[in-house]
Amino acid sequence: MTAALSKKHDFDVVFDSQKVFRLVLEALSHPAREVSILECARRFGGKHSALLALALTLLDNEVSFNTCENHQLSDDIAALTLAHRSTVDKADFIFVCNLDDLKDVIEHAKCGTLENPHQSATIVILDEQGNDVPAHRLCLVGPGIDVSRTVTASPALKQALILRDAQHYEYPQGIDLLFVSGKGELYAIPRLVRQGEVG
Amino acid sequence: MTKASRNYNYAFLDEGSKREIRRATLKAVAIPGYQVPFGSRELPIGRGWGTGGIQLTLSLIGPGDVLKVIDQGSDESVNAVNIKKFVGLCTNVETTTEAQRATLIQTRHRIPERDLEDGQILIFQVPLPEPLRIVEAREEITKKMHAEKDYAPLWLQLYESLIRYSKVTIGAEYPCLVEGRYMMNPSPIPKYDNPKLHEAKCLYLFGAGREKKIYAIPPYTEVVSLAFDDVPFEKESFEGRHCRLCGATNTYLDEVFDQRTGAQYHQCSDSSYCREQRGKD
Repeated sequence: MTAALSKKHDFDVVFDSQKVFRLVLEALSHPAREVSILECARRFGGKHSALLALALTLLDNEVSFNTCENHQLSDDIAALTLAHRSTVDKADFIFVCNLDDLKDVIEHAKCGTLENPHQSATIVILDEQGNDVPAHRLCLVGPGIDVSRTVTASPALKQALILRDAQHYEYPQGIDLLFVSGKGELYAIPRLVRQGEVG
Repeated sequence: MTKASRNYNYAFLDEGSKREIRRATLKAVAIPGYQVPFGSRELPIGRGWGTGGIQLTLSLIGPGDVLKVIDQGSDESVNAVNIKKFVGLCTNVETTTEAQRATLIQTRHRIPERDLEDGQILIFQVPLPEPLRIVEAREEITKKMHAEKDYAPLWLQLYESLIRYSKVTIGAEYPCLVEGRYMMNPSPIPKYDNPKLHEAKCLYLFGAGREKKIYAIPPYTEVVSLAFDDVPFEKESFEGRHCRLCGATNTYLDEVFDQRTGAQYHQCSDSSYCREQRGKD
């Protein structure tokens, strides 16, 4: 861990990790439900605090990650977790801070195989939606959702779903998406969740 | 926290082990019914005694949780009491026998009678996670069969059972199809509990420590017990019987014999639910 980073954060790897994991589990079990990891994320400084909280909860030296050329974030995650840096097509976790990188990431992220679909990437997207952004209404269906759920979708979510669907993955292959804002609000879109008809 | 438990990490497992189990759990939730392999750890109890469920519980549990452990529906059996003591010793969490108060429920062979709610997690101890093992011994082949959704041998087994005995003879571990894709072994719960898996509000997690697999059923997921169009799925019927203690006629009943008199009784398998019903009188 870099000296600067170790001074910066007081994230508890036992109890804060457990809290963050349970919130991520809740988010993944209930797609599009927003949970807040702010309480634990604020133990890190900087604008990537929520991403670092997630990284320290889920990553270690057994997995690889990619940050799409965000070198500061890459250094911080490597120092915190000892996870291996990797290319987009081989990374287990991909952190996307710039939506311009999303297309390349989704097109190249590994989606597992029919025999081993768990060997697929989890993509963590920093979703900084401003108030001036026009809202889109999206209807989502799939496991974890009681019939359907209509959400106000950020441009990141809308774009990610379009790009993901364009890959035409054969289930159980696919990618799982986690969206997190700088304020620590987090929601998930696992591979089986898809757009339905807005009622 | 006791002096002895201070010598161990919180929730016994080291953080690296928890992290691997947590990653496997997230993948399991994302791919309902798919068995995610994980590096099952050594625990101070033998494999086959609920180590998969315990590892899941230990990787999930935190200071705010309330834990309930049941074995065949009972809070008081040896397995349940010892697991509860062990987890309590290394986490100091509150334990309960009331299903509605628990945030985490670890279970062996039953789903509580009371419907579980959003936010609750039911953790199953699973001895044999592979539903295809009965028709194919080799793991590499069963993996391929799952990949190709080749469940014909299982259908054939069901058909043969019908031809030979005029009914499906599977009592527990009745296979079900999750979200129209994965054939899943719901652990040795009785058929009676299978319908509770379908479109439930809670999260179901399954841990097989000896077989090193974790799988899951997220809330509101389609879980269909295997059946033919003209021979529908049937769960156990307790028509004409009731619990000798609370009088319930709508629960899963255990058969009990009085050794001295030879008399035969029935009583609720879910001891907590039975106690609750008696408290109402």
